[in-house]
Amino acid sequence: MQKESSSFRDRSGFIFYEGDSVFRAILPGYKKSYDTFMASGLYQALADKKLLLSHKEISSSDLQPADVYKTLHVPRIPFISYPFEWCFTQLKEAALLTLEIQKTALEYGMSLKDASAFNVQFYNGAPVFIDTLSFEPYEEGKPWVAYRQFCNHFLAPLSLIAKVDPEFRKLSQLYIDGIPLNVASSALPYKTRFSPFYQMHIHYHAKMEMKYSADTEASSKVKLKLSKNKLIAIISHLESGIRSMSLPVNKTEWSDYYNEFSYSDESIAHKKSLVKEWATLVKPVNTWDLGCNTGMFSEIVQNISANVVSFDIDHLAIEKLYAYTKKKDSKNLLPLVMDLSNPSPAIGWANRERMSFTERAPADLILALALIHHISISNNVPFHDVAAYFSSITSSLIIEFVPKSDPQAQRLLVTREDIFHDYDKSSFEASFAKYFFIEKAENIQGTERVLYLMKKR
Amino acid sequence: MSEFLLYIDPGSGSMILQVIAGGVLAAGLFVKTYWFKIKSFFTRNKEK
Repeated sequence: MQKESSSFRDRSGFIFYEGDSVFRAILPGYKKSYDTFMASGLYQALADKKLLLSHKEISSSDLQPADVYKTLHVPRIPFISYPFEWCFTQLKEAALLTLEIQKTALEYGMSLKDASAFNVQFYNGAPVFIDTLSFEPYEEGKPWVAYRQFCNHFLAPLSLIAKVDPEFRKLSQLYIDGIPLNVASSALPYKTRFSPFYQMHIHYHAKMEMKYSADTEASSKVKLKLSKNKLIAIISHLESGIRSMSLPVNKTEWSDYYNEFSYSDESIAHKKSLVKEWATLVKPVNTWDLGCNTGMFSEIVQNISANVVSFDIDHLAIEKLYAYTKKKDSKNLLPLVMDLSNPSPAIGWANRERMSFTERAPADLILALALIHHISISNNVPFHDVAAYFSSITSSLIIEFVPKSDPQAQRLLVTREDIFHDYDKSSFEASFAKYFFIEKAENIQGTERVLYLMKKR
Repeated sequence: MSEFLLYIDPGSGSMILQVIAGGVLAAGLFVKTYWFKIKSFFTRNKEK
């Protein structure tokens, strides 16, 4: 049994692994809430609508750890992703999912005690709530305990992305408990103070936090009664406000964005057929497409690999790919925003609560197409280091070498001095050959680029 | 960080805010429903 290191904050239970299987142990202290949750019909309602990850109670005592009330077998999420890696629409959907769950919970006489964005994961192409132990019986008249957490984890980043800049996505990485409301309030444009939505849930909320924070008797001074109808009105207000939020992107930017290709149709067709053929040889279960852009090659591998995770630094490209996966109803492609020159670190207590990008490795296959010039020219990483790192995160690699003479590589050299004297095909091959067996190498028709299939040594 | 910041409990402000927000939103809904009722009363009259 291997206990999940991020479970320690939860006093209701913990996650553990047994081989490839994932289990959730429920501690005796949560017995009453869990039994109510199951008996109320709420679990079934949420699981039927696929809003909550379904589970099976296990009866065999071999797997049941000591001092545990019950053990649940839960599906394994192929790739754990975090809110600061989601594009705007993914974060928005995760927020709306949380509100829908809270609304449903209230219908069944329960309420969410946690509204952390880390309780949502992307599974089978859609966001799903994974924490079965986040529910408690609803007490009439009691305000929503997780309202503040919801605002920290969802409302603050969504507002900052929509009203200030998409780059504010990254702020959630710095604040594991969600963005403080006073930070969000001071960063939001002044005009949001005239919107009842932002004024109420962020600006005034931040002010109230500060006002009553030092006052230990605050709650006893004020009559804290909130009827169920009023509570539902607050949730609906959050719902409609979030639904109307959108990325600050103008239309021309959207449509022109992707027409810019450095390839002829013939070259693209050749590259696609090579990727398809080689990925079929590898038979990967988990494939990562690094620098996926709008996911042209992820779409090919999707039919070969059980799970595909596609990463790009470009928020808009990931938005577009996510929209595409939803349109196609594709279940096994997860697009994420990630800067590979500075991938997600491990965060939280003892740096053990949320995994770094590297800790979530290895993949069976990595695609690194039209990427090496960005890593080695723009970011100055020597080939040797790229090869060493890639060999630590994958067993097979399909990588494209982009020579210096290539127009795209030339573009990167316009504004920098060409200090990359060993940036050529032979030193590329020599560096990678130290870590990988080069199984295939083929020139991409109509270009000077070379595509390689490599296997880890 | 000042001692003040280390010992704050922002929870109570958030609870109080909900009571206020719930009141405001419910009042808004009340006004809206009545406004629709009044409006539909007059439009109904017109249709006759």
